Amino acid sequence: MRLEKCYFCSTTIYPGHGIVFVRNDCKMFRFCRSKCHKNFKMRRNPRRTKWTKAFRKAAGKELAIDTTFEFEKKRHVPVKYNRELWSKTVKAMKRIEEIRSKRQNLHIKNRLKPDPQLRKELDLKEVKQGITLITPPVEKKRLGRKIPQVMQEPESMETGE
Amino acid sequence: MAVRVQFENSNEVGVFSKLTNAYCLVGIGASENFYSAFEGELADVIPVVHASVAGCRIIGRLCVGNRHGLIVPSTTTDQELQHIRNSLPDSVKMQRVEERLSALGNVVACNDYVALVHPDLDRETEEILADVLKVEVFHQTVAGNVLVGTNCALSNRGGLLHPRTSIEDQDELSSLLQVPLVAGTVNRGSDVVGAGMVVNDWIAFCGLDTTSTELSVIESVFKLGEGQPSAIATTMRSTLFERYFK
Repeated sequence: MRLEKCYFCSTTIYPGHGIVFVRNDCKMFRFCRSKCHKNFKMRRNPRRTKWTKAFRKAAGKELAIDTTFEFEKKRHVPVKYNRELWSKTVKAMKRIEEIRSKRQNLHIKNRLKPDPQLRKELDLKEVKQGITLITPPVEKKRLGRKIPQVMQEPESMETGE
Repeated sequence: MAVRVQFENSNEVGVFSKLTNAYCLVGIGASENFYSAFEGELADVIPVVHASVAGCRIIGRLCVGNRHGLIVPSTTTDQELQHIRNSLPDSVKMQRVEERLSALGNVVACNDYVALVHPDLDRETEEILADVLKVEVFHQTVAGNVLVGTNCALSNRGGLLHPRTSIEDQDELSSLLQVPLVAGTVNRGSDVVGAGMVVNDWIAFCGLDTTSTELSVIESVFKLGEGQPSAIATTMRSTLFERYFK
């Protein structure tokens, strides 16, 4: 029993599900459900369709390049059965899955953090807008016109905040 | 030695089995008769294995192999691949290929040194063939037919070609393969030689319909047992005459 991946959305296809399209150059396209098949027939590119795994990876929404993905592959050269090797492999699979999910979570966490440059810009903007709020009122009265000058050098004000 | 066998009333022995010098694959049939015919002859020398490829028993047409390796088409399932791997000796390499022409047995004819292949076979597959089977690969046709695997049977000691192969073609192929070749038939005049028989360096299996004349041609060209090439002209002469001119 082989669990295939959907050509369009990359979900796992269990036996008895979905449909296969074989092009006349022998390339096989497997689809998990009619939604994916129809999208394929409409000649949509899975990389440009927002809800697919291919889009999410291409757009950097999910972890795409990682060594933990190297293990899951179709292998053409079989290895002779060896009980020790197999039990080790099964053990390793669990561990790798653990590492992979950890890395994926971290990737999303990092992605959700606001961009440091953007954050700095926002901070500056706030300081510029709100500087009048923290200047003492007396000074404001006395200096009157000078306030615009202060507003032009917000860097120094930041430390005083 | 050449043996007559039958697979469930079919004479196309080469379709349901794959015989090499290092192993023998036999299709899964309803009865064990076919398997035991192979086992009886080969069991103490090489492993005889029940196998299927892509759930089919026509393994002889789907896979290609020799003493060094075995190549199966991309339709082979993982379980079948693992089963065959576990049953074959370690010295035999095994690989699955992504090839458009999935009936590899039909498009490739090989012995332990040389392979004749279909003119449209992929370059990549060709490289894998050369690598895994350790053969020299030639794009060829037999009697103007691209399905070389179907139309000829090869071993390291000789080869049987489609009966309509011209003398020039025979000479050309013979110089490529460096073995003596003969154009002939099996199964009472069937011209699909590769599908009608399997052969290795010391034994051949043909369909039950094979006539004794065909059998003696096979024995002499593949140099099996007592039948030497000169036998056709000397000892067999009288029987041949008896059969056809009486």
